[in-house]
Amino acid sequence: MSLLPFTAPRQRRLLAGLTLGLSVAALAMAPASAQARSLETAHGEIEIEGQPERVVTLYEGALDAALAAGVTPLAAVATRGGEGVADYLSDRVPDIAMVGTSREFNLEAIATQNPDLILASPYLSDEQYQLISRLAPTVVPENNGFSPDGWKAETRLYGKALGRTAAVEAALEDVQTRAEALEAELQASDTTASLVRWMPQGPLVMSSELFSTGMLEAVGLNVTDSGLVKDGRPHSDPLSLENLEQVDQDLLFLATLNDEGRQALDTARQSPAFARLDVVERDRVFAVNGQLWTSASGPLAARAVLDDIEAALLPDSE
Amino acid sequence: MITGAMPRPLAGQALALAGLLLLACCASLLWGAGDVGPGRALAVMLGQGDAEARFVVTTLRGSRTLVGLAVGMALGVAGALLQTLSRNPLAEPGLLGVSAGSAFAVAVALLLGTSAATLRIGVAQLGALLGCLCVLGVARVRGLGQDPVRLVLAGAAFSGLLSALTTLLLLFDQRAADEIRFWVVGSLSGRGIDDLLAVLPSFMLATAITLLIARPMAALALGERMAAGLGHHPGRVRLLAILVVALLVGGATAIAGPIAFVGLVVPFAARALAGPDIRRSLWLCLLIGPLMILSADIISRLVVAPSELPLGVLTALCGAPVLVAVVRRRRLPTL
Repeated sequence: MSLLPFTAPRQRRLLAGLTLGLSVAALAMAPASAQARSLETAHGEIEIEGQPERVVTLYEGALDAALAAGVTPLAAVATRGGEGVADYLSDRVPDIAMVGTSREFNLEAIATQNPDLILASPYLSDEQYQLISRLAPTVVPENNGFSPDGWKAETRLYGKALGRTAAVEAALEDVQTRAEALEAELQASDTTASLVRWMPQGPLVMSSELFSTGMLEAVGLNVTDSGLVKDGRPHSDPLSLENLEQVDQDLLFLATLNDEGRQALDTARQSPAFARLDVVERDRVFAVNGQLWTSASGPLAARAVLDDIEAALLPDSE
Repeated sequence: MITGAMPRPLAGQALALAGLLLLACCASLLWGAGDVGPGRALAVMLGQGDAEARFVVTTLRGSRTLVGLAVGMALGVAGALLQTLSRNPLAEPGLLGVSAGSAFAVAVALLLGTSAATLRIGVAQLGALLGCLCVLGVARVRGLGQDPVRLVLAGAAFSGLLSALTTLLLLFDQRAADEIRFWVVGSLSGRGIDDLLAVLPSFMLATAITLLIARPMAALALGERMAAGLGHHPGRVRLLAILVVALLVGGATAIAGPIAFVGLVVPFAARALAGPDIRRSLWLCLLIGPLMILSADIISRLVVAPSELPLGVLTALCGAPVLVAVVRRRRLPTL
């Protein structure tokens, strides 16, 4: 595909200048990442050149990947159930603009940012892509359904788009090393675990194919959704209280969108059906932040999830 | 169908319905979305059975059965009172926006940070009262009261407005949204005896007032002048009846969420059996209401096991055809 439809006239002139006068020097001296590069996206191959400076992310995983790569986006979408970015990122981007939620974007707000690169979710619809890609080159990763490692491919694609392949690879490597170290320390290959979101009518069992359940697997735990989650769904329907024993594994991670995870745990404990579970009586239930565990993805989120796992399972290690 | 010319044997009908209700209660204890099947549950009911089954039957199914009984009675009676009060066979707490009013009030309360069960009941009842007054106020506009369908239209508009406002509130606080969303469709799951005890005082008060106003209400059905001529005070009776409806619907909504159409179907069936006199049909409402709720609840557990359907979905599936059938009759019976 041609480079032209995606580049503004100013950049085109710049490119012409480069090719006329400095092409040899540019090829020889510029960092490899700043070269024009072509990306395989869900909407075909697109080409990006230079180091994008005005980046807008429309997906939590993309914001995470950009920050891990050392790029601070101008604008992002709100986390699930919140008004700003997820708590684990909010300190890094105190002034970031909000341009919508994961489901709805404010096109005008995106346009106001005058972006030169937009990083979107693999679930972006065709219609939305047609609109958004007019504002700037839009990178949409291939949608391969839920898989515990899908976020790594997404992160690499965003990193390539940002011209920061090396930084992203380093961040992924870091996560890998950290997970392996934790796995060696935990020695928990026989331990089963499940991740649920607590609802007053009963818990939603999260799929074992998600990012955070993938991290639990990465440190050696056996995550199960007890076959309750249908293919292609992130979680089950609210489980009947009569069937709570299906989440009665060795460990139970209880995700909640409230800040006060502890409070949600107390609410859950008031339910007699929950309180009598073996895992509850053994006190192996851990309240975790649902923004991080059921909505986010990316290298920084991975590190934060690993921190949570370490704090929960190795409380004395610090 | 609704002639009332020949008083039918009320005691026989009531006995038959009570038998059915007993069967529904047993079924409600025997079947569920979990692994404890009728066999194991029966063992528990006969005083044996394993600990797991005993917990499921007594704590989970037992308490939701009791809550279902109370909610069914409340909604059935509230429907009958509201219909007699507005002299409109289509008046139903769900259709007229009374439930929506109390749901809205609860959503406001939840957003403001209250979670105490008793406070929520008071708030829901206040919301139901306001909803009641609004809709009946509209209904007293000249001409509107004569046309049952127009009253329902006004109620539908009012309900739509309130649920839009509830949605709007939820947008402001997405975290509360997840919790409220499941409550808004109505369900008996996870409700305990505590919730029931909290609404019991207001249900008893409602019962006492209902016994007081049953006779004047029957007179009111003959027309305002006739009732006044018989020595009743139509205005006072109407106000008391609205209070009862608010107490019942608000209490039921606070524990089970808004459940539509029960207040329509139950009095309809009761009148078909007992005739139009509210002093007779009210007794049957007390039996048919829980019968409908419990049957719907049992189905809701079985069709999508191991999950459960929201109860409100099922009552709407049963109730909507009845509404259409009533409206499609050539001449709407006025009450």
